[in-house]
Amino acid sequence: MKASPARREERRAYVLFVLPALLVYAAVMAVPTVFSVLLSVSDYKGGPLFGGEPINFVGLHHYSKMFQDRFFWISLKNNVYIILISVFGQIPLGFGLAYVLYRRLVRRPGFFQAVIYLPSVISTIVVAILWKSFFSPFGAFTKLMQYIKPGWVNTLPLHPQLAIVPVLFVMLWLYTGFYLIIFLANMQKLSPEVIDAAALDGANEGQILWHVVLPSLSGVVLTTAILAISGSLKSFDLIYAMTSGNPARRTSVLALYMYDSAFRGAPDYPLANAISTFMVLFSVVLILVLRWIESRVGGRET
Amino acid sequence: MKVPERSAHVSFAARSAIYTVLVLFTVATLYPLFWLVLSSFKSNRDFQLNPLGWPETWHFQNYALAWRTGDFTRLFINSILYSGLATTLTILLALAAGFAFAKLRSRATPILYGSFVIGILLTIQSILVPLFLVANWVGLYNTFWAVLIVYVGVSMPIAVYLCTQYVQGIPDAVIESARIDGAGYWTIFWSIVAPMSRPVIVTLAILTVQGLWNEFILINILVSSRSLRSLPVGILSFSGAVGTDHGKQFAALVIGLVPMVVFYLLFRNQITRGVAAGATKG
Repeated sequence: MKASPARREERRAYVLFVLPALLVYAAVMAVPTVFSVLLSVSDYKGGPLFGGEPINFVGLHHYSKMFQDRFFWISLKNNVYIILISVFGQIPLGFGLAYVLYRRLVRRPGFFQAVIYLPSVISTIVVAILWKSFFSPFGAFTKLMQYIKPGWVNTLPLHPQLAIVPVLFVMLWLYTGFYLIIFLANMQKLSPEVIDAAALDGANEGQILWHVVLPSLSGVVLTTAILAISGSLKSFDLIYAMTSGNPARRTSVLALYMYDSAFRGAPDYPLANAISTFMVLFSVVLILVLRWIESRVGGRET
Repeated sequence: MKVPERSAHVSFAARSAIYTVLVLFTVATLYPLFWLVLSSFKSNRDFQLNPLGWPETWHFQNYALAWRTGDFTRLFINSILYSGLATTLTILLALAAGFAFAKLRSRATPILYGSFVIGILLTIQSILVPLFLVANWVGLYNTFWAVLIVYVGVSMPIAVYLCTQYVQGIPDAVIESARIDGAGYWTIFWSIVAPMSRPVIVTLAILTVQGLWNEFILINILVSSRSLRSLPVGILSFSGAVGTDHGKQFAALVIGLVPMVVFYLLFRNQITRGVAAGATKG
């Protein structure tokens, strides 16, 4: 059976329209991702892929090496902190502030929205160097603390446990505006009648927030939680430029640990790819857990 | 437009708490920027003796020196080229693919379109080492083209997704009647679909420019020569190089910060709308 000329023309057009996008996407993302998983179970040491040293399959060797590395656990712990600050800090704060601006509970909501979102548009590298200087012993933070507590010595950047705190603060500062924007945009899609009706029935703002707005946005909250988890696992630029993982790699995160394994010192490409594969799997597992929790307690949605 | 009355159902205490949080946020955003700008005009001695106050004398030359030593002319040209060209190409390719996925019949669409959507979840970390190795093998390492191609590739998943969604909203009848009038698919794409997709093009342009202008990790592993650096890479290495020369370092940060702040002030509404659309639909 031969296709009609019109059908043939449609097919040809389809190929011509899809192919360029598909080629670039396959070359830059799809194939490299598969390649990365393969590298993680190999003993590749650099050099040409064919004709160089033979490359062998070594199974999960690099994964077990990774699990035995204490810097893996330090990095994972810091990633968990970042996830916690985004899920229990940025999201609730962004939601609350979005509600305040949506209901116009304050004067000049537009100004506050602009200011809270402003950090998001600045290059993360610039943000990181700015805050690094701000929190450094010669920076404004030290001086301000010395007004409150004369003679205070700033050892924060050198403290193995506390050095991560300024990073977490900057993350809260940097990303709350992003969630605020998402929640605000979705609140503006809600029908005002429902809220007006609740207000007429004598519900106060807290009740409207908790019983009307939050249930109708529970899907959006889930989406943002997924964004927060996958975004938190990927975070790299800020820490790379702010602390480089120091002191003594105590503020490292998985993305930085992966980068260090591949691009600093002697490269260990299989280990680096075991880490990145772990990051993908870990974020998929967290997202599935989140969806499962949502399906169990998501009954409030109508 | 009807502006809702400010609610009376909020107690004084609650309102004070709300204002406190908002004012804290505002101070936390504006004070460091203010401190940065003040410090950028100070001499090194002035900054060390007096890190909080006004500059003793205004050292405008910090900016000229930072601009020259950091080679900011080159950095700006590179950043504009990378994000401008990559964004244009991304939109063209994604809109073409979106048109095919949404309006042309093919059994391949579910698989192909699905593979782009999965791409939204893939992480940059997974592709770093492969891209670095392949760029070396094929001789693209440390070239302008490597950055451009990679930037288009990583922007593709969300762009194809948004374009397909948008073109699906264009009525089939518009395209069918053009077909009946004898228009080819290329003509339909250029003179019907592309003009009708203006809103999604604007959203995508803003999202992509903002993302690529600030992109750091990919370009950091793909190029090494100074002449190919973008602003974020250049600013970071400059700030490492000048070390304790704070005035110049802060001037460089201000130079890096101003374009995005101006971009934001100019397109504030489009940016916030675009970000919300890109995030919740993704």
